[in-house]
Amino acid sequence: MLRRFRLEEPETIPQASELLARYGDAARIYAGGTELLLVMKEGLAHYERLVNVKKIPRLSEVKQDGETISIGALATHRQLSVSPALRQHFPAFVEMEAHVANVRVREVGTLGGNLCFAEPHADPGTLLLVLGAKLIAAKGTGQREIPIEKFFVDAYESCLEPDELLTEIRVPLRPARSGVAYLKFGYLERPSVGVALSLALNGKGNSLGDVRLAVGCVGPTARRIEEAESLLKGKTIDEAPQRVAEAGAVAARASQAISDLHGSQDYKEHIVGVLLKRAFQRAVEQCK
Amino acid sequence: MASLMSKPRDAHTIPVSFTVNGKLYELEVEPHELLLDVIRDRLGLTGAKRSCDVQVCGACTLLLDGRPVSSCTLPAFEARGKEVQTIEGLAHNGKLHPLQDAFIEHGGFQCGFCTPGMILTAKVMLEENPEPSEEQIKHFMHGNICRCTGYKKIIASILAASKKMRPPAPAKRKS
Amino acid sequence: MRFEREIEILNSKEHVWRFLWDVDRFIACVPGCKEAGTVEAGKHYTATMTEKVGPFRVEFPMRIDVLESRELSHIKALATGSDSKVGSRMKVELEVRLAGNGNKTTLSLATSVDILGKLATLGHSIIKRKADQVMDEFARALKQKLEGSA
Repeated sequence: MLRRFRLEEPETIPQASELLARYGDAARIYAGGTELLLVMKEGLAHYERLVNVKKIPRLSEVKQDGETISIGALATHRQLSVSPALRQHFPAFVEMEAHVANVRVREVGTLGGNLCFAEPHADPGTLLLVLGAKLIAAKGTGQREIPIEKFFVDAYESCLEPDELLTEIRVPLRPARSGVAYLKFGYLERPSVGVALSLALNGKGNSLGDVRLAVGCVGPTARRIEEAESLLKGKTIDEAPQRVAEAGAVAARASQAISDLHGSQDYKEHIVGVLLKRAFQRAVEQCK
Repeated sequence: MASLMSKPRDAHTIPVSFTVNGKLYELEVEPHELLLDVIRDRLGLTGAKRSCDVQVCGACTLLLDGRPVSSCTLPAFEARGKEVQTIEGLAHNGKLHPLQDAFIEHGGFQCGFCTPGMILTAKVMLEENPEPSEEQIKHFMHGNICRCTGYKKIIASILAASKKMRPPAPAKRKS
Repeated sequence: MRFEREIEILNSKEHVWRFLWDVDRFIACVPGCKEAGTVEAGKHYTATMTEKVGPFRVEFPMRIDVLESRELSHIKALATGSDSKVGSRMKVELEVRLAGNGNKTTLSLATSVDILGKLATLGHSIIKRKADQVMDEFARALKQKLEGSA
């Protein structure tokens, strides 16, 4: 059962921000509620006021804005999984969204809500980390741009200020001759290991110019593993596959795995290596 | 049950109007009342079940504007201005929906607890994809859990229904 | 979940032993632990364990029973509590061993933490990480308090 709460339904961002500022810890933003209402039902958290942001217009659009795709924070996973713009420019993102949770959660849950709740066992954050995403956070007085690498502070904690709303996720278009892959493994309701990789060939097309690698679900937050990226960056297409196993081992050790219901530390680290190997094969294939 | 708990005098209610299986309802709901409880306890439609209560099993599935939602985790006010469909609304003038027929004919249920959710979800899938492969069925239905059947007969029922529901192939022209 | 820590303390065994039985000062070393109370000195105590992860807070009123104790050697205690709001129970078995001579004492801590109920299912890895952190801070605080005072 849900405990009683009052519903606020602001129609603009400044109104929403003002409500958050006024009620502080006693209020929380409510979008799809697929994470929030669960913890409220479990009694782990309670808010006297939920600020329904779904009446604020134009927060769920997906559109191309020059060399960037702009995703409204209130776009649902389902919307993203069928978006023509995303299918054209980020098929790996569409596939990831089509496999989030289950069909009912995808229908109601929003990308913004997923990111802000910062549940470690989630998919979108890990992939956005290798796409160079920038998050737009707004409040009454204006907005700021937050690079995705700075967004996740700890499990269930983002860097948003108490009176800020996440409004937009901006993803730069991929260069030609690049590849993106996201693979996950899980047998419980939430994913246990997630690995994302993006590669881009250099100007001449013979070596890896840009490499980004992120591991999610395993540690308290999804993170890019620069130590593993540098093992692959600059390597030629022929050399790189030989370094993948080492990159996998480095990424696994850096992922802060601990033994728990999702698997032993050893097992999770092993799976990180396996998923990276497969992600590399997929991403390199796309570069050709 | 939310509706039976005594309301404080300053209880904040929201007037909502929505249709359920085509019939219009106008109610006052408190923000924390869940759609599942309103449908079951206030409207008496008990096809949807509370099972896991954490939106992973699908027994509480309802269609909201034709899309599947976990009514155990959806506040009732989210249905305002929308069309709700429950399993009770699937049959038409006493005639069962092809999915219901198929589940009966192919043994797609045993205890029946997951069945309303299974059928409503399969209905949406077949609308999106009238000729699904077994893999596609498994992916779409991934969030509907059954403890009895082992799923084989559920998939068989859905495949059978999809064949029945497809528009017939155009008759071949004689040359 | 098991956690083990070994701390070298620059103080005598007698001093450490006395500190361990000073409930208020001992509990003050456990992050998130408050409201220590003595029900029967040497046998039964109470305390409240609190923890915060992101926006979530849990509070476990605990009862602590001393199962075994041998002067200047070891203590075995069992702490249990439940948080009805989240339908969860917590059980902590703590074993403390002292060894050493003169002004140096080796304090060995072995803790077994079990969380049962919803919290365990929902947040197993978070709990583990937190418990690990708590053990680290506990060990640090113990060492600091025991070496700070003469």
